[in-house]
Amino acid sequence: MSEREAYVGQPRPRREDHRLLAGLARYVDDIKVTGALHAAFLRSPHGHARIVSIDVTAALELPGVVTVVTGEDLAEDVTDLTVAPPIEGLRPTSMPVMPVDRVRFQGDLVACVVAADRYVAEEAMERIVVEYAELPAVSDMFAALRDDSVLVDEALGTNLVARRVHRAGDPEARLAAAPRVIEAEFHQQRQTHAPIETRGCIAQWDPGREHLTLVIGSQVPHPLRTQIVRRLGLRDSQVSVSSPDVGGSFGQKIALYREELAICALARRLGRPVRWKEDRMENLLAACHAREQWCRTRAAVDDTGRILGLTLEMVEDFGAYCFYPANYISEVVGIILTAQYGIADYGYEIRVALTNKCGVGPMRAPMAMASWVMEGTLDVIARRLGLDPAEVRRRNMLADQALPYAMPGGETLLDVNCAETMETALDEIGYAAHRPHDDGRYLYGLGLCNVVESTTYGSRFYKNSGIGGSGHEAARIIVEPDGTVSASVGMAAAGQGYETTFAQVVADGVGVRPDDVAVTLGHSDTSPYGMGSRGGRGATAGGGALYLCAAEVRAHLLRLAAHRLGLNATDGLGLRDGRIVWVRAGGSEETGLDVADLARTAYFDPLALPEGMRPGLEFYRTYDPPPMTFSNSTHACRVRIARETGRLEILDYLVVENCGTVINPLVVHGQQAGAVAMGLSGTLLENVVYDQAGRNLSATFADYTIATVADIPAIRIIARATPSSRTPLGLKGMAEGGVMGAIGAVANAVNDALSVVGAQVTCLPLTPMRLHAAIHDGIGRAAQGQEG
Amino acid sequence: MIISLTVNGEVRDVAVEPHYLLSDVLRDRLDLTATHVGCEQGICGACTVLVDGQPARACLLFAVQMEGHAVTTLEGGAPSVELRALRAAFHTHHAQQCGFCTPGILMTFAAYLRDHPDCDEAGVRAVLGGNLCRCTGYGPIVRAIMAASAALREVADV
Repeated sequence: MSEREAYVGQPRPRREDHRLLAGLARYVDDIKVTGALHAAFLRSPHGHARIVSIDVTAALELPGVVTVVTGEDLAEDVTDLTVAPPIEGLRPTSMPVMPVDRVRFQGDLVACVVAADRYVAEEAMERIVVEYAELPAVSDMFAALRDDSVLVDEALGTNLVARRVHRAGDPEARLAAAPRVIEAEFHQQRQTHAPIETRGCIAQWDPGREHLTLVIGSQVPHPLRTQIVRRLGLRDSQVSVSSPDVGGSFGQKIALYREELAICALARRLGRPVRWKEDRMENLLAACHAREQWCRTRAAVDDTGRILGLTLEMVEDFGAYCFYPANYISEVVGIILTAQYGIADYGYEIRVALTNKCGVGPMRAPMAMASWVMEGTLDVIARRLGLDPAEVRRRNMLADQALPYAMPGGETLLDVNCAETMETALDEIGYAAHRPHDDGRYLYGLGLCNVVESTTYGSRFYKNSGIGGSGHEAARIIVEPDGTVSASVGMAAAGQGYETTFAQVVADGVGVRPDDVAVTLGHSDTSPYGMGSRGGRGATAGGGALYLCAAEVRAHLLRLAAHRLGLNATDGLGLRDGRIVWVRAGGSEETGLDVADLARTAYFDPLALPEGMRPGLEFYRTYDPPPMTFSNSTHACRVRIARETGRLEILDYLVVENCGTVINPLVVHGQQAGAVAMGLSGTLLENVVYDQAGRNLSATFADYTIATVADIPAIRIIARATPSSRTPLGLKGMAEGGVMGAIGAVANAVNDALSVVGAQVTCLPLTPMRLHAAIHDGIGRAAQGQEG
Repeated sequence: MIISLTVNGEVRDVAVEPHYLLSDVLRDRLDLTATHVGCEQGICGACTVLVDGQPARACLLFAVQMEGHAVTTLEGGAPSVELRALRAAFHTHHAQQCGFCTPGILMTFAAYLRDHPDCDEAGVRAVLGGNLCRCTGYGPIVRAIMAASAALREVADV
């Protein structure tokens, strides 16, 4: 290992920036491919319908149209996607690449036109005549779970695609015996990722080599390749996936969606390159949605606010198709809900419903609701018992000495400093002086949200939870003949700054300057097979694998250097900024050798290598992180709500954050603030709305509103970091906790303010209309009356 | 039909159909891909270019409307002093993550800083309201623009 960290911790501006600022970045749609055809998809206007007939004659007659295919046409080229991991309570699902006889949501695929350019493709699309027999749709998850509901997937015989139950201790007995039982409800609205770059891809089939190359903005090039290979009946060696610059992903660019697979199949069928660029309406209507979840907690409490037992009921709306195991998102909420609180008797029941809406996937902090539900429950307990919300948290929080703690959800919590972040936040936000109040114009409130963020999931987590998959990551480092250090890992960036931060990690691990490290990512042929970018795993899994690999490089180079210097051992030798030095007390002394000298020997003078050392300098190392690593933070904010308009203003927002070792404070700060902004945007504004017939009413940026600069307050971030005891460099990960904390802090602040008028809100987003209704129409008051 | 327009200081003759958008013609016919298309509806601002020196949404203009006009994209010939100052400040302040919205913001503020050398933060925020960024939360963008503005004033004072 390195004798000091020279570059990890430095706030280095990003090396990616130059091309982004010069207009020289290359996103999918910027890449020219000679002779490429353009595809456009005809989509269902109905929420649920049988396809009676499709007439493509007029479309094919338009000059420039090459082909028009339907689900039936493609079925022979592509196998169905079956999602059937062996998880108790999960029903297996299956879907073809495009629907054959029934569309299940508005925006579902009906046909694909391939033409000389996109203008022609879209014109041809309008000439396709489809006869639909409209069917009743179900767009509400609670209605979908009723026995008499319309079925979204007839093969299932039910809309209950997953039901999961977990018990630790005996929460029901605690509830039955408790002095008080306090109930709280939380309803998070449907949202979508809305990266500013929509989806898109270019597929090329080389008939001579029988090889498919797919250029696509992807978080996970290798797992995506595995999916393509399986669906198209190819071998791994026949497919290359290349992810260039990516204009945001946030979880939307993980799954192999049907459009992209259809484009691959068409490129192979036609023997010509085919490209597709999703437009914004398609993206909002049919790419991937997220977050529509309802939770109810029941807490057994004593008069001091101590939780004696807790149950969680959760219902999630998964939409019409399963691109992921349907339990996977909600399950993590269940697992981590109790966070840093000592609750031995705990249980959850999760039900996941199919509806006639767009399919669902993970969105930055898929488990985001957990913090709001736990912290909101604590606030309801405090209000019901007339206690101070911070004091109720203290009474339930684990003492530092209780760590590591076996959480009732099944994971082990450690390396967190929740009391420290909370107490710091209380001081900084001026908690002691705060009381919710009303000055006639505004209601004032303060909200707290402690967050335990599950950042990196190792293979053991996947195995334990039955979710399936691996959590490992792979790194490859090549010291090139000129001494350049080329590093790669299975991650693919979408703005996280990996090229900069991973260069810092590798620089320290090997003992060279970051400028001597080239980081290449995103290509399945040149990067080692890894699990890609998701969750908060970039630093711990990706950085960890690279750091361990770099340490092997360093050890190898030092053995080679020792031999060159006529030594039997590497004792006393070090690598500093690419030079081999004698490490002395209080400094170092040059040996005259550097990495370039050693590289020349390794590649061009192998007879000068020590006995047993092989020529060349290529290194490969995998790393499987601990089952679950945790970062923690406390979010606190002060808000005011205008009585007359219901308008919410955030007067102060701060985060006290412990994300472990920080590789690059500039990048980490950017990720944390960005996560808070996304959380605020979701809490205040975003809302995917369907009517009862399953029509999407929010498929433009005028209707699906995401935060502008006017909506995001200044965000104060205060570091209280402690390293992880179990990962390379003490890395923990971050970039999702901000979403988790923002939802809880703002919703709790709003309910603190509304408590002045005896109202409460349990549904997001917290729009002026909703808050106005809560203040004036007593809508929230009825809800509060049901507690306890 | 053939139209003649000036793009980044060069007169270009381009064959277009009347319904072709300026954003598509810049990207697909002239290979100027710094102009990004995020919504095709004028909301996100990623496609902002300068038309005769003023910011305009390339996705809301037909290419035929540009006959006889001058269009400047981020690639644009010799960068203005404002653009150079913005690029330096965006780098220092980490004002872009994925970078997809960045060209539209740079073009908008290259014009704004030129026309408002004494701008204040409220003015910057009001204008930035026309651009969507999904990554940064906007704080670093505002700081970078203010820093660029200050740097330009410093140069002007010398």
